[in-house]
Amino acid sequence: MKFVVPEEREAEERAWAVVSAAYAEREPVAWPRRHWQPLVAVAVVAAVVAAALSPPGRSVVRSVRKAVGIETAEQALFSLPTRGQLLVSSRSGLWLVRPDGSKRRLGRYRDATFSPHGLFVAATRANQLVALDPKGAVRWTLARPAPRFPAWTGTRTDTRIAYLSGGRLRIVAGDGTGDHVVARAAAVAPAWQPGPERVLAYAEGRSAVVYNTDRGTVLLRTPPIPEPVRKVAWSRDGERLLVFAPHATRVYRNGKVVEQDDPSDATLDTDAAFAGRRGHVAAIRFAGVSSNVFWIGGGPVLFSGTGVFRQLAPSPDGRWVLVTWPTANQWVFVRTRRRKIVAVARIAQQFGRRARVEDWCCA
Amino acid sequence: MAGTGRDERAWVRRAQAGSASDFEALFRAHWGPAYRAAYLVVRDAAAAEDIAQEAFLAAVRALDRFDRRRPFGPWLHRIVVNRAIDWARARALRAEGEAVDVAAPEQRERDDELLRELGRLSPEHRAVIVLRYLLDYTPGEIAELLELPRGTVNSRLRRGLDALKERLE
Repeated sequence: MKFVVPEEREAEERAWAVVSAAYAEREPVAWPRRHWQPLVAVAVVAAVVAAALSPPGRSVVRSVRKAVGIETAEQALFSLPTRGQLLVSSRSGLWLVRPDGSKRRLGRYRDATFSPHGLFVAATRANQLVALDPKGAVRWTLARPAPRFPAWTGTRTDTRIAYLSGGRLRIVAGDGTGDHVVARAAAVAPAWQPGPERVLAYAEGRSAVVYNTDRGTVLLRTPPIPEPVRKVAWSRDGERLLVFAPHATRVYRNGKVVEQDDPSDATLDTDAAFAGRRGHVAAIRFAGVSSNVFWIGGGPVLFSGTGVFRQLAPSPDGRWVLVTWPTANQWVFVRTRRRKIVAVARIAQQFGRRARVEDWCCA
Repeated sequence: MAGTGRDERAWVRRAQAGSASDFEALFRAHWGPAYRAAYLVVRDAAAAEDIAQEAFLAAVRALDRFDRRRPFGPWLHRIVVNRAIDWARARALRAEGEAVDVAAPEQRERDDELLRELGRLSPEHRAVIVLRYLLDYTPGEIAELLELPRGTVNSRLRRGLDALKERLE
């Protein structure tokens, strides 16, 4: 039955005039959109703790641990599947992992990044930005309040480190001189655009800003997404910008959205990253009790499992992506083409609790 | 044209956050089906406009409480159809004559006849037929929308269609 009511269009316009006026006058309820999440998290933690404390609970936790994860996982990180070295932070400090699996604890630092050629490390601790060599020896320090998220770019002779401190984005030269404020910014790691010019992307609430630090000009301010930006990242060729939030991910090219992902409320994305040799965007989708890693632009699911996957870290050559899987206490290296899986167990025992990949550098 | 489920959830989310353009997208996607559904139940264009408009105003008032996991369309249609049934019942109590036939002259004669006969069914029978054949809801979904037992929906559909068939023959 298909028909049009006479004057349907006119009726629509009359109704829109009334309804849009009502919408404009409405006062949204002042209730943070994600307010339930901390409550749910607290409830879940309380339930898990209560369950784990009882003898039957301990037994259940053990059996769940056994059931989750890849059974054939290596019992230690014997080697990385491809070239490069890892920086890993955890409650126990900052670790540098060589391709042969050997690792060195650099000290108690929070966030860290490699220099452009992997020769040095910039890291943060309580009130200092610190430059280190790979043996952990301090080259210089800069006292700033609660510095976070260093990002290092440049050539062998001229480099810059962007970082956040006191709600502001700052830039300092690779030798620790010339520190200055660039702009107000949200507490999200800034990202340098690969390429000859020193162009930086950073988060500003629900938008991302692309800023040319040499010219001091804003090149792009993305339209706001429905929630605060949680991550910005560039593709390896520097042509595409990823702007990530759990319920709204956008990929920009020349200022225009070329890919996007808006998970429903029943699900959320926990991370996204450029991966694969062609630099597509992979994301982690958490739904109910399981997670999977998928390509936002479509294609086969890369990897799925029970529990929470927290982070995606692409290898420098783009061939592999590391999926951190705290529920299983494992890391899973997934080769993006001709899929291959290499799993490593007992991550907390090797690096400490809440292990996080800070950087994977350099091919 | 209604958007995909993903579009719709995004529109609702952004409309809740204050995006007028997303609220307009939601309105534009759902106005036509809502208005037509109301019209088919009440058989009065002015009343259908009021009913659909009232349903959208109710949507504005309830927007912040709307559960975004649920689709917007069925929720709106439920308001529309229930209000339309109430309106049609009230009109019957006022002993008004049949609704003015405002079918467009270019519509096919057969459609005119079908719509006219549809208008002679009781509001309850009209509602389930409109939901089933105009808005493409399944009997299970209609039962949920109108809070009726599924058997009642099926019997109203059957009886409504039988009555239509009889009158059209």
